[in-house]
Amino acid sequence: MMGTQLLIKRWVCGVFIGALALAVTPSFNSSAQRAGVARTIKPALRRITETQYRRTIADVFGPGIKINARFEPEKREEGLLAIGNAELSLTSSGFEQYFALAISISDQALGERQRATSVPCKPANPNQSDDVCARQFIESYGERLFRRPLTESETLARLKTASAGAERSGDFYAGLKLALTSLLVAPEFIFRVETAELDPANKGQYRLDGYTKATRVSFFLWDSAPDHELLTAARNGAIHTEAGLKQQLNRMISSPRFEDGVRAFFMDMLQLDGFENLVKDPAIYPKFNQTVSDSAREQTLKTIIDSLVRKKRDYRDLFTSNDTFINRPLAAVYRIPFASNNEWASYTFPQSSGRSGILTQVSFLSLFAHPGTSSPTRRGIKVLEIFLGELTPEPPANVDFSKVQDSSKGTVRGRLLDHMNNKGCAGCHRRTDPPGLALEHFDGLGQLRTTENGKSIDVSAEFDGVKFDGAQGLGKLLRDDPRVPASLVRNIYAYGVGRKTEDRDEAFLSDQTKAFANIGYRLPDLMAQIASSPEFFRVVVPSGVHRASSTPVAPTTAPKKTKGVSR
Amino acid sequence: MSLPIDRRSFLRGMLNGAAVCVGLPFLDRFLNGNGTAFADGARLPVRFGAYFWGLGLTDTPTGGTRWVPSKTGRDYELMPELESLKPVKDKVSVFSGFRAIGDGRPNLVHWSGHASILSGVAPAATGRFDGPSFDTRIADAIGTSTRFKVIDIDASMSRQPVSYSTRTGNTFATPETTPLALYTRLFGAGFQDPNSDDWKPDPSIMLRQSVLSAIKDQRQALMAGVGKADQIKLDQYFTSLRDMENQLAIQLQKPEKCAACAPPAAPKETPRSASVDAVRANTRAMARLLAMGLACNQTRVFNFVHTSGTSETYIAGQSKIYHQITHDEPIDAKLGYQPETSKLASIVMEALGDFLVELDAIKEGEGTLLDNSLIMAFSDTGYAKIHSIENIPMFLAGRAGGRHKAGQHIHSTGESVTRVSLTAMQLVGAPVGEFGSGTMKTARPITEVIA
Repeated sequence: MMGTQLLIKRWVCGVFIGALALAVTPSFNSSAQRAGVARTIKPALRRITETQYRRTIADVFGPGIKINARFEPEKREEGLLAIGNAELSLTSSGFEQYFALAISISDQALGERQRATSVPCKPANPNQSDDVCARQFIESYGERLFRRPLTESETLARLKTASAGAERSGDFYAGLKLALTSLLVAPEFIFRVETAELDPANKGQYRLDGYTKATRVSFFLWDSAPDHELLTAARNGAIHTEAGLKQQLNRMISSPRFEDGVRAFFMDMLQLDGFENLVKDPAIYPKFNQTVSDSAREQTLKTIIDSLVRKKRDYRDLFTSNDTFINRPLAAVYRIPFASNNEWASYTFPQSSGRSGILTQVSFLSLFAHPGTSSPTRRGIKVLEIFLGELTPEPPANVDFSKVQDSSKGTVRGRLLDHMNNKGCAGCHRRTDPPGLALEHFDGLGQLRTTENGKSIDVSAEFDGVKFDGAQGLGKLLRDDPRVPASLVRNIYAYGVGRKTEDRDEAFLSDQTKAFANIGYRLPDLMAQIASSPEFFRVVVPSGVHRASSTPVAPTTAPKKTKGVSR
Repeated sequence: MSLPIDRRSFLRGMLNGAAVCVGLPFLDRFLNGNGTAFADGARLPVRFGAYFWGLGLTDTPTGGTRWVPSKTGRDYELMPELESLKPVKDKVSVFSGFRAIGDGRPNLVHWSGHASILSGVAPAATGRFDGPSFDTRIADAIGTSTRFKVIDIDASMSRQPVSYSTRTGNTFATPETTPLALYTRLFGAGFQDPNSDDWKPDPSIMLRQSVLSAIKDQRQALMAGVGKADQIKLDQYFTSLRDMENQLAIQLQKPEKCAACAPPAAPKETPRSASVDAVRANTRAMARLLAMGLACNQTRVFNFVHTSGTSETYIAGQSKIYHQITHDEPIDAKLGYQPETSKLASIVMEALGDFLVELDAIKEGEGTLLDNSLIMAFSDTGYAKIHSIENIPMFLAGRAGGRHKAGQHIHSTGESVTRVSLTAMQLVGAPVGEFGSGTMKTARPITEVIA
């Protein structure tokens, strides 16, 4: 039964969105069996995110380094930035930003105060180049930044930069700064370049190399580049063994840094990046400001970390549990007293608050609304997309709105009922609006209300044939819906491997979902389980890949056409 | 400090596309009567900009047009929604009746219209173009001799920053979204005042060049074993790297003096707000900075988004956003159009008027910066209530250094929008003879507006 649900999950409003994924599926592992096999290929290239960049710099150079830059915008596909970002490159203005940032980081890391801790050696003469010391620095930092040892030619290129710079400026450290800048703007740092090698255990097949595995695990669990131990496990091959991998995973999940990884995942899945650009009309929501916006995001993340990581609670409780944290600005929005001397205090909403879990926190309610009103449709679409894995198609272009009346009076329900009675709209609005209408006791900022334009708000709704009432009814419904944990499993897997899931993944996802139930829906166990599975490291050979010899050969087959697929 | 240049080497420099800004006392002798070109035909640099606003203008099926003039040619009348263009009417051509043609592809709401105008191809999916946007071709042709090849701006202050400029169809440019950010980019670190007398090449720039060459050395090794899609991404990366190299090289050249260049003071940080007034003010502030950036020869090409396709702007205190109003507001039976929507469209056009006036305020030669520019302004839809991609409002503003026979209304009965795009490319001298695909493929610019 679970299987059927997964298969139909993207069949929404009569449009089979999954067809897109089918049409562009690249060929699997078979191409390695053809004659003239490349020794190594690069199956994927993904730009690191802003938080990954920041965390890596803090890990490598210490938390004192200031990072002041505008990062390139990210792109969400199928609900996840982790999927959309795989398509992105670096624009000219983005390059400018990364370049200026790299110069600033080099200046800080190799400035007079910090150079003694940053550089593992002393130059023979600080006014001249010193290849021995420069090499030591470049190799050691290069490995942390590229997440693998540098090739000799990569090292030599930076050595050349360092020594020419030192000679020209008469300053060893000025030269070293240039070499470091060159590592920091290199595509090998800014992009995760995944590499696969021939698998010694399976003739003609590829496997991800040790460093790529280490990097995948590290960004997945810590949202940062691999540390020394992980790089060592890659170097000595331990990461390829079951025991070696398990050991690393256990170490990483029991580290406090695991919280960074979980935060990053939920930032992405819950689309909390939207707070960067959220605006509200101050005439309508005077309490909204940047502090409220930041606090709302933090509240949800704190709730999740406490519940799922620290207390190891059942994932599904997020929809019904009212245990959370508040600070002073949020207390004003929720209209509750705040008596703590700390910045944040734990708080449990009473039943009478009408609230039910994360769907009724200010973050979800304000993010998926308009600047001056709530939006049942937007909220409904996001409930389906984020928690049930159902994508809603774009509205049809030429809709007949003639029946849709102006509704400055009464409640929004009336206006939406018009949509539901309209042929072109009904297919989707019948599906998207009920979960949103159930949340209508909360305005566009998430404040409780029971009337709109003087009329009392009806929050009864029906979804998949089940009648329910209000936010608490919706929370219960989601808690017990088997698609909710199944969708989480899919999102976590897609997030970790950085690509859309395909038909081929369904059996694996279904197994993982069953296993998730068996471990009581505990998130850390699920992430460990996924990261330890061979599927997590499966190599997907991209189209148009050519031999990894020193002289590139043009691809023999035309690349698959990925455009022109209409949905 | 004066430069030993004679007229011949000066003009050669211009024709080679070196950094050109015009030293006025020197130049006056060579300008023709209207200040747009040299007496012997060489021109002042022409700038190009794409200006986008969301949600079209009002032109209802019931005949209640609020923007399409009834007369064509020079003496077209200013319709209510175009009222704000009055101060620059003679420098603006209005194009009506052009449409995006899908050839069977669906009309993707708030996407197909401008994707067609910019890429020449009806897009297959929202969020992507099926080809590069044409501003990149113009930038490649006229943008390589300034510090920035192109400047991207989004003044809308709502949701994700938006740009519709793309080389790959997937990665879109990263726009500046606040006056302060734009100021910092144009006039912050790295800006060299062209009128400063004590210019010296900055030795740190030379050192920085070596940073980039170390990366280029590794290109071939990096490309090996990479799939097709990732090759495209890496190509874009290396294009961006080359733009950076070009920027450094230009910073090592002594900039030519620019009489019109008066670097502004840094603006204050502005609070985020997406009310129509706030977005209009933001547009104006950013237009002023951009105009000075153009006058100071920091860039020759820009993309400016006033509001995105699904504009989130609102009238302060009113609960509905503009986008929602276009769909929900009934047509007033007596007026024949949606009064509230039309009012909002007029405010949006006021921002375009402000924008053009800012460019027109800067004197260059005997004309203005606007005279030496071409701005193509357009929207994503025609009549927004039904997401129409017919009769998408399009304008060409500025005389393009005299090449644009501005101030006309050109009406078409359903020809492709790509004709206007092609015209824009040719007016600013991009070497493009044909644009678009399928029914939208065209080799016919609109000759009526080309001098």
